[in-house]
Amino acid sequence: MIELSLEFLLAMIALLLIVLSGFMLYIFYQRQREVSFNKSRDHYLKDYSLLWYDYFFNNEIFSVVLIPRGKPQVKAIEIIFSSYLKNISNEEMTRKMKDFSNLYLKQFYEKDLMSKRWSIRMNALYRIADLQLDELLDACRKLEDTNYSKEEFFQLLKIYSIFQPELFMQKIKVPNANYAESEYRRLFVLLEEDVFIQFFDDFTSWPASIQFAVIDTAGAKRNMKYIDKLEHLLMNDDDEIKIRALKGLFEIGVIENIDPYIPFVTSDLWEVRLMIGKIFKYVPLAYTFPYLKQLLQDENWWVRNQAAKTIAEDRDGIEKLQEFISYSTDAYALEMAQEIITRKQGSR
Amino acid sequence: MNEATFTKEIMLEHDVKKYFEMMLESIIRSHMTITTIFLKSVTNTSSEVDRSNVNTQLAHFLMDNIRKTDLLFQLEDGEHWGIIFLQSSDIEANAFLKRIFKLLKRNRTIPNEVALKASITEIRNNDINFETLLEKNKELLADDHQPQWLIERIDDYRKQSIEHVKVSIIEQNAIFRKVLETTLNSMDIANFTFEVTAYEDGYSFLQSKSYHSGHLHLIIMNDILPRNNGLEILHSLRAMPNEKKFIIYMMSERNSEIAALNAYEGGVDELLVKPFNLRLLEAKIKRTFARYWL
Repeated sequence: MIELSLEFLLAMIALLLIVLSGFMLYIFYQRQREVSFNKSRDHYLKDYSLLWYDYFFNNEIFSVVLIPRGKPQVKAIEIIFSSYLKNISNEEMTRKMKDFSNLYLKQFYEKDLMSKRWSIRMNALYRIADLQLDELLDACRKLEDTNYSKEEFFQLLKIYSIFQPELFMQKIKVPNANYAESEYRRLFVLLEEDVFIQFFDDFTSWPASIQFAVIDTAGAKRNMKYIDKLEHLLMNDDDEIKIRALKGLFEIGVIENIDPYIPFVTSDLWEVRLMIGKIFKYVPLAYTFPYLKQLLQDENWWVRNQAAKTIAEDRDGIEKLQEFISYSTDAYALEMAQEIITRKQGSR
Repeated sequence: MNEATFTKEIMLEHDVKKYFEMMLESIIRSHMTITTIFLKSVTNTSSEVDRSNVNTQLAHFLMDNIRKTDLLFQLEDGEHWGIIFLQSSDIEANAFLKRIFKLLKRNRTIPNEVALKASITEIRNNDINFETLLEKNKELLADDHQPQWLIERIDDYRKQSIEHVKVSIIEQNAIFRKVLETTLNSMDIANFTFEVTAYEDGYSFLQSKSYHSGHLHLIIMNDILPRNNGLEILHSLRAMPNEKKFIIYMMSERNSEIAALNAYEGGVDELLVKPFNLRLLEAKIKRTFARYWL
């Protein structure tokens, strides 16, 4: 049995009490700081939200009371600006936010970029991009000399894509981390047309995730300038690229010449044939009916269904389907044509 | 003096009175502008004209030239005709008069000495009754020295009554909710006043019961909301018997055709994809309310 003297035990208890008291005091102090921070932030929000509204939308003169005097005010401004940016689009407002941020928030975020805490650095990077703090570009580049995370580099790429697209193209070529297709899409959607179109030059040199993201973004941007680029990709050997290029062309929704698409009517891939059935809805039925008739007799249900739907969307489509029913002997095609006619007539 | 002649096919003053009173009630309820025209024939006094024959010919001429939605009637003095135009402003009435005056000048069956003069009354409130309307128009056309083809105007009943509109903003973000509230409160829309209330979630809006009143009700809400989202509110409101009083603007962060299609098919009147320009919202609201009156 361990023998402990009474003096020793009392000394231990006293020590523990001192440590505990110190800890309690520290928690109390932190809590008070938090309360005071929140109070100051809420005070700013309550008093100055309307002034910001008037400054942005009613051409009121900028008031010096809006300039932040500490972190709580910066936090309040962040809340106001991010709410506005998320909900309101207005060039004048964005310009005013940018000018204000470069003038009065720059020093706060510059300091945050040097923080040892990852979450503070990430928050600063998000704000630099959102508020277009272009004067902090050099400070951002310095971050690359540190032991940055994958998420931080992604934010840096986003910042470069906004402020210095040439640098973005350089950096994305030597990626320090591989990102998911959806992350690349988030980056590409921000790019100006002249920068984005560069991805189509030497397309095959990019990793698959970038290739797919480029095709999907081109479709989502619905810019007719990308039609030639996507049609060119139809010659690519990769089936996934072909299918995605067709999907992108369908999203853009303008088909000037059907010749590049005709060979795909007999493609071995049902997904390709399905996309052709979809794309042909943008071309008058007079030009596409022979091919859609072929697709209506396809072995795949989805392809047959799409072909019938595309035919039915034309003004003379129902008549054409009824005509088809009168002479066709393909039981599956007949069933599909009949089903689409019934559905179309039912929805009228 | 020739005796008053009446045409069998044309309604008479006392027949039209009850229809007019019914239309007057619809002016406010259905935001319907009505315009009346009163016509009187003017004859050159130096020439001999068979007045009763001319009146019959004029009556037939008018019957041939009005639309099926216009109501032609003859006043009991036999000298005046009235036409009530539904859902029409004085601009259309003026164009109608110019057209029939031009046709009449070319009409060879009616003697050249006969002309018309007219008065237009655009009505956008119910501060008038049929007797006053007749009396004022007759008085305006009473002077025998007035020129031929004259078009007079009564502007006393053009002013619309101010309509109270309830506006509910349902948005979770407190800053943006305040922005919308300030914007809507500062909007100036002719003939309408807004009573703006803001809610942070769908449940508090549904609990407020403010939507039970008979007022025209503009609702600006997000599609995603805590506790009863925007789509639930949309379905609840559109299932109400008097759902036509709701003008529903839905805000969404989703910019997809499918989302837009679902919203419009669900009964949304306007879909705003976030972020949007506040001026665009104001313009859309102004157009919405401008459509209520001609």
